Amino acid sequence: MRRSRFTWLPILLIIALLLILPKLVSEYRLNLVITMMIYSIFALSYNMLFGQGGLLSFGHAAYFGFGAYATVILIKHFSLSLPMGILIGGLAGAFLGVTFGVFVVRMRGVSFALLTLAFNQLIYVTAEKWRTVTGGEDGIAFMRPNLHLGGWEIDLWATLNWYYFVLLVTVICIGCLWYLTLTPLGRLNLCMRENEERASFIGFNTYASRLLIYTLAGFFAGVAGGLAAAFQEFVTTTFINLDKATDVLMMTFIGGGGTFFGPVIGACALTLVNDLLSSWIERWAIVQGGLFILLVLYAPNGLSGIYLSLREQWDKRKRGEQPS
Amino acid sequence: MLALSDVNTYYDNSHILHDVSLQVKSGETVALLGRNGVGKTTTMRTIMGLTPARRGRIRFKDKDIERWKPYQIARAGIGFVPEERWIFPTLTVHQNLLIGLKSEPYASNQGLEPWSLEKCYDTFPSLKKRQFAKGGTLSGGEQQMLTIARTLVGNPELILIDEPTEGLAPKIVDVVAEVIQTIARQGISVLLVEQKLSIALELADRIYVISKGMIQWHGTPEQLRSSEEVRKSYLEV
Repeated sequence: MRRSRFTWLPILLIIALLLILPKLVSEYRLNLVITMMIYSIFALSYNMLFGQGGLLSFGHAAYFGFGAYATVILIKHFSLSLPMGILIGGLAGAFLGVTFGVFVVRMRGVSFALLTLAFNQLIYVTAEKWRTVTGGEDGIAFMRPNLHLGGWEIDLWATLNWYYFVLLVTVICIGCLWYLTLTPLGRLNLCMRENEERASFIGFNTYASRLLIYTLAGFFAGVAGGLAAAFQEFVTTTFINLDKATDVLMMTFIGGGGTFFGPVIGACALTLVNDLLSSWIERWAIVQGGLFILLVLYAPNGLSGIYLSLREQWDKRKRGEQPS
Repeated sequence: MLALSDVNTYYDNSHILHDVSLQVKSGETVALLGRNGVGKTTTMRTIMGLTPARRGRIRFKDKDIERWKPYQIARAGIGFVPEERWIFPTLTVHQNLLIGLKSEPYASNQGLEPWSLEKCYDTFPSLKKRQFAKGGTLSGGEQQMLTIARTLVGNPELILIDEPTEGLAPKIVDVVAEVIQTIARQGISVLLVEQKLSIALELADRIYVISKGMIQWHGTPEQLRSSEEVRKSYLEV
């Protein structure tokens, strides 16, 4: 993971831009940016496993969906506040993460991928069949509650307020995920990707560490799921299906798992491409699939990988060396 | 400090170590000598729990560790410097060392000055110069230093070093030998696996000779020097 050339300036500029964005774009575009932010959290949580941990999961939608259902059901039936509902969505994702993690983090490679897929389908089928709780394929609709802060009541139904709420949660989540990469646990995650045996004889309990990482990834996926459900004021089995599980994989891959912010780029790019394509042609998924194939073939490190290699060539040229 | 008794290790069905018994006393440097493929590395992997013994006992500081996991053995105070110099190539030298630091005092290093990052950089000035370089860009000798330094910051009481001079230029070999002597002078016990007889004779207090997974001989460097028969049958090619 690159962080040597990390500077705060671009980050602050992007946050400043996001703060004034409602002045610049239409409500429709603002909703698109909200979608991007939510998927950014989801993709970053996935990248803890994929990019940093070297684990290919086909079941990350389970935690997203489980968090979404938990948020909706608790807000609807127990009148929880929205922040509390989303936090509980995260905790639900973490709970599911630790429960399944006990089994899946023992596995590597193909076994890991298949077992995560199986667990995802288990949750999917449960959500589909347990109609009394989940509403089956019809899902559950609910109203996004207003936010009470002391004596203030903020109307979250208004797109502008809701946008700032999602922005705040996103910044907090990305900040936490960034901080995690700087902790010993974050470094250990990279080491285990490179060689687990090495990490073990230096004195790390790799099983427990992987389980903790898997649980944290479940937490942030659950938060993203809770936000997504509150955004759509609706949750259904499409939150857990295989499309969702592969969407997050595609976002992370397209953006590039090798850098911290790659998945954010991927989440934004895929959301944008889907939006553009679906307004042009009906069979937009074919084009999306084609683009994905091109990236896998010609840019296996994703968009951020293309950027890094361009910058490397640029640096070399500046130093007067031959570009490789 | 460390005692193996009648240790038998298998890779699947092939029997590698046959009733291996050896001891490393506190503060001692012991060399394990032998030709290629006779079980030297397997002995180390067995002690470390990476390839656990099927039968036999391994005692370390009055505890039976033969069923422990590698991380438990590492925390109990055994450091391992593998032959492959398993550094983390995408992390910087400094990050590689940070990984080796133990967050709690696993090993109580009685009366010894603990190995801090500063002390490591003092001992290995070449690492200090390259502390922000990626591990994968280091030369073989520097990688060897880094692996040793990373093990030392974990403050082990016993350090297992597997063929540290393999593939290094003669000048670097001398540096590595000097480092091992420094470690030994600090009071850390050393179990050294070597193919080069001269290095083992120079560094070790006692020597075990292994062949075909069995300990064939043990004694002091002086005894080995004078015993041409042992050298001829088990060591020289």
